[in-house]
Parts: sequence; C-alpha cells; structure tokens
Amino acid sequence: MEPTPNPLESPDQPKIGVYICRCGGNISDYLDTEKLADTVRGIPGVTLSKVDTFMCSDPGQDRIVQDVQAGLVNRVVVASCSPFLHEVTFKAAVRRGGLNPYLYTHVNIREQGSWAHGHQGDAATQHALHMIAGGVGKVRHLQPLDKIRLPSHRRVLVIGGGVAGMKAALDTARRGLPVLLVEKAPQLGGRSLDLGRVYPSEQEARELVKRLEKDVRAEEKITVLTGSEVTAIGGFIGNFEATISTGSEQRTDAIGAVIMATGFTPYQPPEGEYAFGHSQVVTLPEFVKALRDMPSGKTLTWNGKPVRSVGLMHCVGSRQCEGCFQPQPDGQLNDYCSRVCCTSLLRNAVELRSRFPETQIYDFHQDIRTYGRGQEDYYTCASDQGVTFFRWKGEEPPVVTARDKGGLAITVKDQLTFGEEIEVPVDLLVLGVGMMPGPIADLVDQLKLPVGADRFLQEVHPKLRPVEVAVAGVLLAGTAQGPMSIEESLEGASAAAAKASILLAHDYTDLEPFVALVTPDLCVGCNACVEECQYAGAVTMEAGPEGKSVATVNPGLCKGCGACVAVCPTRAIDVQGWTLDQFDAMIDGMTDEALRVPATQG
Amino acid sequence: MIAPSQQKVDALVVGGGIAGLQTALDLADQDYKVLVVEKEASIGGRMIALSKVFPTLDCASCITTPKMSSASRHPNITIMTDTEVLKVTQGTEGKPSRVKVRKNPRFVDLDLCIGCSLCEYACPVERPDPFEWGLGATKAISVPFTNAIPPKAILDPEWCTACGACAMVCPTDAIDYGERAQELDIEAGTVVMATGFDLNPVTVKKEYRASESANILNPLELERLLAPHGPYGRVLRPSDGKIPDNIAFVLCAGSRDKSIGVPYCSRVCCMYSIKQAMLLSGAVPMAEITLYYMDIRAFGKGYEQFYQNAKAMGITFTKGKVARIDPVDNDNLKLRVESLEDGRLLENEHDLVILAQGIVPRADADGLGVVLDHDGFVKCADPVAPTKTEGEGIFTAGCAAGPKDIVDSIVEASAAASEAAQHLIRTGVVPVQATEA
Ligand SMILES: Cc1cc2nc3c(=O)[nH]c(=O)nc-3n(C[C@H](O)[C@H](O)[C@H](O)COP(=O)(O)OP(=O)(O)OC[C@H]3O[C@@H](n4cnc5c(N)ncnc54)[C@H](O)[C@@H]3O)c2cc1C
Ligand SMILES: Cc1cc2nc3c(=O)[nH]c(=O)nc-3n(C[C@H](O)[C@H](O)[C@H](O)COP(=O)(O)OP(=O)(O)OC[C@H]3O[C@@H](n4cnc5c(N)ncnc54)[C@H](O)[C@@H]3O)c2cc1C
Ligand code: SF4
Ligand code: SF4
Repeated sequence: MEPTPNPLESPDQPKIGVYICRCGGNISDYLDTEKLADTVRGIPGVTLSKVDTFMCSDPGQDRIVQDVQAGLVNRVVVASCSPFLHEVTFKAAVRRGGLNPYLYTHVNIREQGSWAHGHQGDAATQHALHMIAGGVGKVRHLQPLDKIRLPSHRRVLVIGGGVAGMKAALDTARRGLPVLLVEKAPQLGGRSLDLGRVYPSEQEARELVKRLEKDVRAEEKITVLTGSEVTAIGGFIGNFEATISTGSEQRTDAIGAVIMATGFTPYQPPEGEYAFGHSQVVTLPEFVKALRDMPSGKTLTWNGKPVRSVGLMHCVGSRQCEGCFQPQPDGQLNDYCSRVCCTSLLRNAVELRSRFPETQIYDFHQDIRTYGRGQEDYYTCASDQGVTFFRWKGEEPPVVTARDKGGLAITVKDQLTFGEEIEVPVDLLVLGVGMMPGPIADLVDQLKLPVGADRFLQEVHPKLRPVEVAVAGVLLAGTAQGPMSIEESLEGASAAAAKASILLAHDYTDLEPFVALVTPDLCVGCNACVEECQYAGAVTMEAGPEGKSVATVNPGLCKGCGACVAVCPTRAIDVQGWTLDQFDAMIDGMTDEALRVPATQG
Repeated sequence: MIAPSQQKVDALVVGGGIAGLQTALDLADQDYKVLVVEKEASIGGRMIALSKVFPTLDCASCITTPKMSSASRHPNITIMTDTEVLKVTQGTEGKPSRVKVRKNPRFVDLDLCIGCSLCEYACPVERPDPFEWGLGATKAISVPFTNAIPPKAILDPEWCTACGACAMVCPTDAIDYGERAQELDIEAGTVVMATGFDLNPVTVKKEYRASESANILNPLELERLLAPHGPYGRVLRPSDGKIPDNIAFVLCAGSRDKSIGVPYCSRVCCMYSIKQAMLLSGAVPMAEITLYYMDIRAFGKGYEQFYQNAKAMGITFTKGKVARIDPVDNDNLKLRVESLEDGRLLENEHDLVILAQGIVPRADADGLGVVLDHDGFVKCADPVAPTKTEGEGIFTAGCAAGPKDIVDSIVEASAAASEAAQHLIRTGVVPVQATEA
C-alpha cells in the first residue's frame, strides 16, 4: 500500500498538539499539570497544549479528534500513563481525526513520573516537562507510516489434546477455521483421563473427555494427530511454519495462529518431603485414580493393608515458605497457590467417607480454598461427615515420620486448638500436590514465549489481554497458563478460540511498521547488519542495482530490535518510527536546560 | 440509540459491565451486530467505580475506560443505556430469542445532549451522589460521573423540583421533562446474560448493627473513598471527618453462612479486602489495619504473592470470627471476636469498619426468564460448555454466573462470545461483511 500523501503531514510545518492527562488525580495530585501545559506551549512547533481529567475518556479523545479536524495540529503528543495502556487508544483518536496514526508520540508521566517521583514537588514536574519535551522533539521528526499487510494462513495449530486443547480446537473449527490438533500421548484427554468424578458437576471426567473427543472427531475441519510432537516451529502471526513428527513420519504445515494447551504436570515431591517415598505416602493424582478404580467397602485398603485413618496434606509443592522446602532446579520455591488441590482433596474426602465409612480422615491445611460455585459444599459436607481439620501456619509445616509399629505420625502445631502441638497417627497420607507447567522448554525457546516467575506461560495483561502472549498470534488455553479447574480450562480455551477467530478473520494480517529499513544508496554492502541480526532471515544481502550488494529486510521476520542500526557504519539502516534522528531530537528535548517550569511560590 | 425499526440484532448482551462489554467486543470483532442493553445511565458496571484492582493494582478506570470506549465506538456495537431487560424468551429450533426491554426516561435527549454540564451548574438542587454511594453530592441533573459513557446528563425525577433552570441554559434544548418509559421487543439471534451482582445487604447480619453507624462501610463505599477522584479526595471516616487510625475488615460478612441463605464463598472478598487494606496503608500510613478472617482465599495467578506482600507491609491478619459489632463512644466500634489463634474472646475497638459483604445475584435476576440454580445465579447447564444456560441460544458470563473476579469474568466473557458465535453459525446467521478498521 502506498502511503497517501496528506498536506497536513508536511514535516516542514509541524503543528504539535500536546495533551496532558490528570488521570483523575493520579498525575495532577503530584505534578502541576497546568504549569506543564503552560510551559510546553513555548516549545517551538507546539501550537497548543491542553489538560484533561481523563484523556482516555470519550471527551478526552474527542479533543484530539476535533483539533486535528480543525487543522490546529498535525502531530500529537499525549502525556499520561504508560503507553502499554493507552498508546493504541490515542493513535486511534489521531486516525479518527484524519491524520496518519504514526504521527503520534506517547509520554509516560505517571509510572515514570507522578508515581515514581510524586513527592519531589517541583522537581518532579520539571522532570515530566523534560520527558514531554523529548516527546515533542521526536514527534517533530516522525514520518507517516503504514501497517505492513502480509497474507496469512487461516489455519490454527493447537498443541496439546487435554480438555483445553480439545475445546479450543472445537470452538475454532466450529467458527469456520481448519485446525491441527497435536497431542504427544497416544490418546486425547490429558490429565483428566486419570480423574474420577470431578467437582463441581460430579460427572465422570472420562465421560466429559469422551463427549469432547466425540465432537472433535466428528468435526471435519479438525485434523487430530496423536502420538505426535511439534519438533520445530517458527515464524510470525499469520505465517508460522510447524514441523510435526508422528513416529518416523514428518509433516510441515503453514499456520496462522498457535494455541498453547500443553497443560500441567503434578508437583513431584523430593524423597523425604512429608515422608514421600514411604509406601503409605501417595500423591493426590495417584490416589484419585486408585480410588476411582477400587471397590467400596467398610474400610479402605492400601497396599493390602487396612487403612483406619487417612491424612490429607494440603499445599504440597504450593505456597512454599522460604527455608522449609527444597527449591526447584531454578532455585525458586513454588510460592503460588495451585487452586484446585483444596477442593479436590475435600471432594475426595467426602467420597472416601461415604464409600469407606470406617476410615477416618484428618485434614492438614493452611487455609481451605473452596472458592468456586458449589465448592464450599464439599467443605461443609466433609465437616458434617466427621473429617477432623488441623490448621498449620505456612512457616511451620507439619512433620511426618514413619512409626515403628507401622503407619505414620503427623506432628502439627494446630492453629485451631491455639497452637498446641499434636501428633496424629495415620495409616495413609495423601499429598495434595500442586501444579507445575509441563516440560515445554523447546517450544518456549523456539517461539520465544514469555514465562512468569511461576514458570507458567505468561499472558500480556491479566485483564486487558488474558489469553494472549506478547508473541502475536500465540494464545493460551487451560493449565499451560497456570493452575485451573476443568471448567476454567475450558473457558480459557474458548476465549483463545474467540481470539484466534478474530486474528484470522481475514486472509491477511497487518503488522506494525516498526521494522528496519535500508537506504540503498548509503549501504556499502559490508554485511555487518546481517551478522549482527539474531533473527534468521530478517535481513539478508541481495543483489542491488549495478551489481552492488544491498542489505534487504524481510518485514515479517524483523522484530525491530535495532541491533543492526548500531553496527552500520554509514547510518544506512534505521528502524521506522524510531530512527536515529528521532532519538537525537528526543535527547535534545530532554536535556534542554532552557526549559524550566516556574517554581511554586511559598 | 437504536431506532425502533432496528429491532433485530445478531446478539443481545444484557448488562454493560466488564463482562458484557468484553462479550460484545469479541462478537463485534467477529463481524456480528451486537446490542448491549444497560439499565444504568452509563456502561461500565461495578468495575468503573472501583479504585485500583488486584492483583496488579492497576487503576480501575484505566482498564475499564478503554473497553467502554472501544465498545461505544465499535461500528458493530449499539449501546442502549437507561434500558432494563425485563424478560428473555428463548428461541427454540434455531429461531431467534425475544427480549422485552423497558427504556426508562432519562429526561435528556441523548441525541441532543452534548455533555457540556451547563444544566448541572444551573440546577439549584443538591442530592446525594449515587455513584459515590451518597458520600458526595451532585445535582438533580448531572453527568453520572467523569468518565461515563455516554458522557451525558441524566435528570433524577425524585429530586427535580421542575424549576426549569436546566432547560433554560441547555444550549441544545435536550431536556424533556415529559419523557416516558417505552417498552420494546427485540429479536436476537443469541443472548448473553451479563447482569452482574449485588452486595449482600448488611441487614442480614443483625448482630453487626451496620445501620446504626456511619463508620461501618460497605466495600464499594470504601472503593470510592480510595479512588483518586473519590468524594473526599482522601480517606476520612464519614461520621466526623476524622482520619481513621485503627481500621478493621470483617471478612465473610454475609457469605459462607447457611443461616442467612448464602452458604457459598463469594470468591472475591478476601482479595478485595487485602487490596483495600494495602491501598489504605498507602492513604493513611499511620493507621493500624486488621483483617479478621476464617480462610484467606488467594487462589488466582499472582494472588498468593499479593497476600504475602500485604503481610510483609505490616497489615495484621487475625484468624477469628467477628460475632458482634457495637457502636461505642466517639463513633468508634467495638468488635467481639472469637479468635481462632489463641481461643480468647477478643474485644477490639476500631474507628472504621468495613464489612466484606458477599456477592449475591441482582435482585431482579429471578423473573428474567432465565433458569437459575439453587444459589440464585444463572444455571450453567453443560460441564463441557460452562457458559451455556438452560435456554437455547442463551449464554452467561461474569458475576451473573456466580461470584468472580475481573480476570475470570473477562475470560468467561470471551468464552461466552465463542459459544454465542457458534450458536449463530449453527442457526445460519452469517456475520456482516467485514468492516475495515
Ligand atoms: C489430583 C487432581 C484432581 C483434580 N480434580 C479436579 C476436579 O475434580 N474438577 C476439576 O474441575 N478439575 C480438577 N483437576 C484439574 C484438571 O485436572 C485440569 O483442570 C485439567 O486437566 C486441565 O486440562 P488441560 O487441557 O489444561 O491440561 P492437561 O490435562 O495437562 O492436558 C495437556 C495435554 O497436552 C499434552 N502435551 C503437553 N505438551 C505437549 C507437547 N509439547 N506436544 C503435544 N502435546 C503436549 C499432554 O500430553 C496432555 O494431553 C484436578 C487436578 C488434579 C491434579
Ligand atoms: C468492593 C469490591 C471490590 C472489588 N475489587 C476487585 C479487584 O480489585 N479486582 C478484581 O479482579 N475484581 C474485583 N471485584 C470484583 C469485580 O467487581 C467483578 O468481578 C466485576 O465487576 C464483574 O463484572 P460483571 O460485568 O460480571 O458485573 P457488573 O459489574 O455488576 O455489571 C453488570 C451490569 O449489568 C447491568 N444490569 C443488571 N441487570 C440488568 C438488566 N435486567 N437489564 C439491563 N442491565 C442490567 C448492571 O447495571 C451492570 O452495569 C470487586 C468487587 C467488589 C464488590
Ligand atoms: S488450593 Fe489449597 S491446597 Fe492447593 S495450594 Fe491453594 S491453598 Fe494449598
Ligand atoms: S472470598 Fe474470602 S471473605 Fe469472601 S466469602 Fe470467600 S473466604 Fe469469605
């Protein structure tokens, strides 16, 4: 697409509008926004400056639209919160006014201003002034840009065939997009296959899996590849390429978007943690499966021995307190809550009590987190059925020892009896182990996916974009993102499917134009940029006019990191929207000593 | 506004809170025509009135406003405010659903009003500001709040004395004292119920005597006090304007209590109380802050760390059940607490008390024609499609489908959009030709 010339956008006559947001007091309680506006008005090129309580509100945005339409401004600076929140909002307003949206610069005077330096009075306002002046400097040098439109493959790859993966595949396919569903196990269903009846529906997990699988198999737009793995993947939104191996066979597919539904792995306690390794200590997933498959009776039996009492230990591998537990290989403890273990433990306590009425249950928890709809009922019911509860403090977890006469002894400082130390003998101990992410380091590495401190895949923003990651075109479904119940995993999956349908609504994708651009006349063909660039194929040497080699950028692969800019000896390569000239102008503005806000009187 | 001739839409979303808006955006981005029906004067729901939101402590306006704004500007979304959904009738065998709505009078013509606020300045009558829970005042005619959408005036007939001052100054003749309610029937290919929640009224806990003291706040009132543009501009206790220095939060106030008909956990009150305690310790750094709780349910992503941070900040967490609250001298409050930590019966005096009231369905949820579960929230009929209700083509999201925080509401809203879009495809409703952004 050729940029449309717009007489308003001539760089020779910059008419810069500066809009300063009070952020309802978040900014103006600390910075003198009125003084900022007054002082900024004196910077060459600035034709107007205004203050608004909420620039992001409709009337705030309308100020920009109206001023542009009235021909008062042809370049816009908004000084407000982080660009992460509202850059897109204000660019859209600039565009609605009829101006190229890239003639816009965002200055963050909240996170980097009022919130950071709020108590420094005039100095904080002065600092904000210099940041705005930097923005004004930059905006003066901006050129109109257009998004890069590339054809995209309207096809989705779902990695992982647990409940989340199946649901994501189903919803996407029913919305009209072909789907490849890749599962490394020989069958679909994931961890849910090992569960019995599940909270809160009390249906058999395998029945739920069966229903989903039946629908998946019936959907002609879904290709199911079990026993398969994605061995190589790369590319960008609309244009990923994935190599999938099934046994010795390999296929390569062009894909528009990827949904990560790789699920979780249960925490594996180290030998000795809560006596793990002892024959009468079992993890919850193992116990749930065994319980499902065993006949009912008066008393539970385990390893051929009658079990008169069962201990349920909460928070194993979750909410770990410094110094009490062995860290993971990365040196970190699991300090997060795994969300499903409390309810699963109590649900199974209720099942145990009704199927093996002579087996007693002792429950050891920090807090009981039966938070969701229908979940508190399991807690109430377990209490009514005589389950005995003990409560420990995070920094004083119970100690489990093997008893000489068989069985185990659990010593707990019980908060419910006012910190008294109690020893509880049990014949079997069930460890309510938490969730950890699956082993997907290869995918994380190849797709450059962000992971959080908890090692799960990290969304862009929990409220603004909860199922997207910072890599455009990659979406999250289910427990690959963090601990979730089945219902929550299914909802995450449907949400990912909705986003995939939106991203691939058309057979093209528009990318931001912030990629490297070469001025062929200046390029001396030294190859320095090609060597420096870490993204394969993003910049290559191609034959130019008169047989000369010229660096050439593939805008789909270039990430706009600017590494090439730093090594080019002739300033032949520059990142659009972030050129060296623009940086120079920013620095000039930020360091302009002549620019001062008048001091506050008194 | 929707024209009477346009009474047919692909999707109708009941409720313009964060859940409803997200559903509408996701459907509209898939090229469906969506109508959002909101009974209040502005969209935004409960969230737009919050201060900052856990777990990231983003300012609530900063997250809600862009979603409100995107919805209001979306070419595929129409918003009807001041309009209450009265009845939803499912469409069987692939036929559209029928939705009966009542457009209540606003007494201001939205097409004419330009939101200049001249009427508000001219009006001589002050009334308690409903957006501020009566902690601040506004006029009988006013724009509902700073970042309302639409940013236009509404007249409150209960307070208006019909003096005519506003009509005299209105530059566009937008004020219409004679406007009447109007009922409409709308046909919708699919309906999403996103009607949100109410707070469990404190009156259910008689032993807390909440109506007897201005210094027992409901948590949404405290949100306003904490908001940067809130009624007092800082945190003061309502009875005498004193800066509180010993504040108590009573958790599970009106939740997890069979005797008052709310046996379930309200899921968000632990976290919002911790958040409010943190914000208070910033606003009134000298204050002692105590949370009385049974269990701390910090289960979501990043929530446990949030809780641990609060402890590290010096906020006191006391495991105990508050049995009674009695007003004492100096407008203070005496809390009788059965401590679960040392078994003692504590009597602690505080100068401000916040009851972490539970989440209950909207009072009018029963009667909308959508099947409810025994807890009063919309019944979700299918464990493999959690946002489906019992009604054909009717889906649900957010707190209408049970207490939920914002993150979970938003994800659920996108899930409902996905199910609703599939229903539309199944019943042969094809999206409109893609509109170029
Ligand atoms: C003991 C226990 C009890 C529970 N009880 C309940 C309950 O009662 N109710 C409830 O709602 N929830 C319960 N849950 C939670 C429930 O198990 C999860 O919510 C659910 O399994 C998550 O599904 P998922 O699809 O996200 O992940 P998973 O079930 O883990 O599925 C992920 C799939 O991805 C595949 N995969 C992983 N990596 C790759 C790769 N690189 N390539 C290809 N495939 C890959 C895996 O093989 C697996 O099949 C319980 C959990 C536990 C541990
Ligand atoms: C004190 C407090 C603090 C909180 N703090 C946080 C926090 O920090 N972080 C967090 O994640 N969550 C927080 N929450 C939870 C958060 O408020 C909810 O998750 C969120 O508001 C739910 O949004 P919703 O759209 O489902 O409901 P609502 O916000 O209630 O929106 C529902 C909308 O539907 C409209 N409506 C209802 N019935 C009808 C009808 N018949 N016709 C037309 N319209 C109708 C209503 O007017 C309303 O606008 C807090 C909750 C409380 C009580
Ligand atoms: S859900 Fe319960 S057992 Fe699991 S980590 Fe959280 S508090 Fe501990
Ligand atoms: S979230 Fe916390 S305060 Fe609210 S009802 Fe549940 S346990 Fe009680």
